[in-house]
Amino acid sequence: MNGKQRILTALAVKQADRVPLYIHGINEAPIIGIGRHITDGLPGVKDFRKMTDSEKFKVLDTLFLIHETYGVDGFTAFEIGHEINLDDGHVQDEFGVTYALSDFGLPVAKGHPIKEPQDLTRYTPPVPDRGHLLLLDLARDRFKGEKALFWLMRGTFVRCWRLMGMENLMLKMFDDPQFVHQVARMTLDYNLAQLDLLVEAGLDVLVIEDDIADKNFPLIAPDQFLEFVNFYNRQIVEAAHKKGLKVVRHSDGNLWPLLDILLDSGYDGLNPLEPQAGMDMARVKAYCGDRICLLGNIDCIDLLPNGTCGQVDEAVRTAIQDGGKGGGLIICSSNSLHPGVNPENCIAMFEATRKYGLYDTP
Amino acid sequence: MVLNRILETLQKGDVKQIADLIGQAFDAGMTPEEVLNQGLIAGMDVVGQKFQAGQIYIPHMLLAARAMHAALDILKPLLAGNGNARAGRVVLGTVRGDHHDIGKNLVSTMLEGKGFEVIDVGIDAEPEKFVAAVDETIQIVAMSALLSTTAPFMGETIEALERAGLRKNIKIMVGGGAVTREFADSIGADAYGADAATAALLAMELVASQKEAR
Ligand code: B12
Repeated sequence: MNGKQRILTALAVKQADRVPLYIHGINEAPIIGIGRHITDGLPGVKDFRKMTDSEKFKVLDTLFLIHETYGVDGFTAFEIGHEINLDDGHVQDEFGVTYALSDFGLPVAKGHPIKEPQDLTRYTPPVPDRGHLLLLDLARDRFKGEKALFWLMRGTFVRCWRLMGMENLMLKMFDDPQFVHQVARMTLDYNLAQLDLLVEAGLDVLVIEDDIADKNFPLIAPDQFLEFVNFYNRQIVEAAHKKGLKVVRHSDGNLWPLLDILLDSGYDGLNPLEPQAGMDMARVKAYCGDRICLLGNIDCIDLLPNGTCGQVDEAVRTAIQDGGKGGGLIICSSNSLHPGVNPENCIAMFEATRKYGLYDTP
Repeated sequence: MVLNRILETLQKGDVKQIADLIGQAFDAGMTPEEVLNQGLIAGMDVVGQKFQAGQIYIPHMLLAARAMHAALDILKPLLAGNGNARAGRVVLGTVRGDHHDIGKNLVSTMLEGKGFEVIDVGIDAEPEKFVAAVDETIQIVAMSALLSTTAPFMGETIEALERAGLRKNIKIMVGGGAVTREFADSIGADAYGADAATAALLAMELVASQKEAR
């Protein structure tokens, strides 16, 4: 089996030849840190946006190389080129949301263009741009069907809070539900139009990335989630299925209070299963492991930043033992490989997946 | 009775109704202090406990916070002494490099609900920003961090307060997803709180312990 077949088999909740490996998201620092083990000439750690073209090219090539060298079975692509630089510290995306660049992670949404209903009447929504799928094109050409191609699509909650501001969105759910629905509908239209482009570009797996929980609770009440978020995300799932894609739901945090809703929405996979948020592999596997593929669970909060390679090896072994039975497991960190993770530990995670992931013949 | 209704209205976040009810409480001869302590503070205690127990969610906290602020705006000018800072004054912020502010804002709400005045230094706050906000009226410096990579800046902020000669006069309280009790101890913080309701209770205790020490 190649990586793509392995991933698609696992997402069908079936058993592949071995447990597949996947990277959900990765910042510049770990690309460069891991990359130094396999190639020379990498730039120092800095924001991708601040790199020269040749540095960007080198970093992207290294990202591909990491997937090849360590047998990562799927590649995650995301929009590039959709932002314009406002000044040294700020960028703006195609929706008109402005972001502050941060040395400690992805840019953070700060300027929200649709705070009130009157902002919406003046607002022209963006049209998805084929050119922004460049990373997907590059990955498709590089991997030639050997690896499954994933795409990170921001879901309804994230798109809405970036447009409206998080606290404002939450209050508007009480004050002006119609307004929230209008904004949500607009983001849905955008996502559905982008989906068409993604299918044409050869996508295999759509990841709806829509963080909705912290380590204790959902960020909004389950009834609000159903009404304002899941109603729309679900339509993306249905559209993607019609086009033959697999769909993975990504959300941080404790998803137990929302799990039945998510299971009912038709997702093929659930990511990233944060251990600190009660998303214990054995428990989730027992609850729904026969219905949905589980992707994630290798702790990126404490273990990958501060643990030893031996501890990482052990965590992968345990996750495979708890979640691997019968297939439907993809090993991945419990969230993105963020700037705080230790590159050696990431490599230990990759290697351990190969070491323990082989299935005995069924 | 009217105080109970204030308590309930707070949870529903009805800004207009809460103003009406405060008017009714005054008509019934209650003092601003009574309305504050038995209406607002009691109400925010209930809100905080429900949040802690997962019975209500962040949006409901925001709703209650809005009603509380509306009520405080009415009551503050009428309260004797230093208005809103009856319990004490707290400098609160999310540390350098860290942009997470939802938790910090909830902590601010619960502190205000207990009668503290909060000087919010915002997100991505450099140690110097905390230092600059501290003067002799401040009892507590409270810091939030959600990232493992930014939590160490709590320690650096404490060191900066020490260098500025301010550490001995204040208590330090820390929290946020990346912080544990062990970590809090290791950087020499005086208290660690796992949630916003606890933060407010801790702040009361810290101020009480400070008064005893003096
Ligand atoms: C929403 C969110 C974001 C939003 C923040 C929006 C905002 N305005 O705040 C955005 C998208 C911007 C974001 C960005 C990032 N995030 Co983030 N984010 C979250 C998420 C989903 C929820 C956090 C939250 O708001 N919780 C709700 C509040 C109410 O909880 P809380 O903050 O913990 O606060 C409570 C208590 O802790 C306590 N408390 C808080 N402060 C204080 C202070 C005191 C004194 C006391 C006593 C108590 C106290 O009281 C509060 C209420 O009860 C978490 C997921 C998770 N599992 O928690 C990740 C999470 C915190 N993020 C994480 C990461 C890695 C990032 C990024 C680095 C991602 C990246 N790869 O770029 C960037 C960093 C950006 C930056 N420079 O800061 C990681 C942190 C891992 C770690 N330990 O290092 C988490 C845990 C996700 C994960 N599992 O990996 N994020």
